[in-house]
Amino acid sequence: METEEQARNRFQSELEFIQCLANPNYLNFLAQRGFLRERPFINYLKYLLYWKEPEYAKFLKYPHCLHMLELLQYEHFRKELVNAQCAKFIDEQQLLHWQHYSRKRTRLQQALAEQQQQQPQQPPHGNAAAK
Amino acid sequence: MAAAAEKPTKERLLSVLDDLEVLSRSQKLPQPGEDVQVLELLVQRDREFQELMEVAQQQGSVHQEMQLLEKEVEKRDSDIQQLQKQLKEAEHILATAVYQAKEKLKSIDKARKGSISSEEIIKYAHRISASNAVCAPLNWVPGDPRRPYPTDLEMRSGMLGHMANMPTNGVNGHLPGDALAAGRLPDVLTPHYPWQSSDVSVGMLPPHHGNDFGLEPPGHNKENEDDVEAMSTDSSSSSSDSD
Repeated sequence: METEEQARNRFQSELEFIQCLANPNYLNFLAQRGFLRERPFINYLKYLLYWKEPEYAKFLKYPHCLHMLELLQYEHFRKELVNAQCAKFIDEQQLLHWQHYSRKRTRLQQALAEQQQQQPQQPPHGNAAAK
Repeated sequence: MAAAAEKPTKERLLSVLDDLEVLSRSQKLPQPGEDVQVLELLVQRDREFQELMEVAQQQGSVHQEMQLLEKEVEKRDSDIQQLQKQLKEAEHILATAVYQAKEKLKSIDKARKGSISSEEIIKYAHRISASNAVCAPLNWVPGDPRRPYPTDLEMRSGMLGHMANMPTNGVNGHLPGDALAAGRLPDVLTPHYPWQSSDVSVGMLPPHHGNDFGLEPPGHNKENEDDVEAMSTDSSSSSSDSD
């Protein structure tokens, strides 16, 4: 039986660990050292799925980790992560996705700026909606 | 009625008629005694004939009644079939309705379980957006060290990183610009990132697992040594290749 402090520490470390899974390079690291092949580790990954519940998920600063965790439940994905190219590809795609909203926002701002140039009489709208 | 097991009325009528015909046709010279006999036979046959006719008439009316009743039966039969069809249809409709109601109840339950106050959701949205965890900062260019995941530095400066820093490891120098690589920072200077959230999560406990896995996750104890020293995953080196 663990004490409450031990439990809290465990919470903290599990919180940190699961968010590390959002880093594809770290995943590649784990794969190359064979952690992803070990049955206890695989069981642990399944146990970590509790972070999907809202009362736990609200502590996650890097939500990408949840998607990675889901993918890690599949053996095929775990096998593929051994390749550095695979990790690199995931990293690139992740970054592109990450930039998607800011690019969209920039485009909207540009469109709005053009619109304002064409119709200078209209008062400019706030950009609050363009999230 | 007279023996129903005997020949049918029609046959009997015909045979009586035949007899009458034979009797009335016989051309042979009647013997003195035979006239009377023939006449008596004739009368007898005629009487039989009359009786049989009555019987036939009665049988006819009975037959008519039977037909009427059969028609009634047919009508009732078709009524029953109609009702049967309607019952089947009603059952089908009710079954569908019950099924859909059950599905609806299930989805209501599900929705109720997953309901979160909108305020919390907005708060969370603010948290993850403000730190650029889900949306890149507007001025991000390749070469910027910020990432949608915890970087090496952040990982090492967390609780897990410190657990590994207990045994001295001098082999982690090959990460450029990494302040921790030279050795442990005094605790005071250790950066504390919000993704570790030790202040926010004061009351929170993880679900109990009773050590089923048989292995501490990497990030604890021995595994974290390798974790920290050999991790050449510094993203700033790879970002120049991307896009």
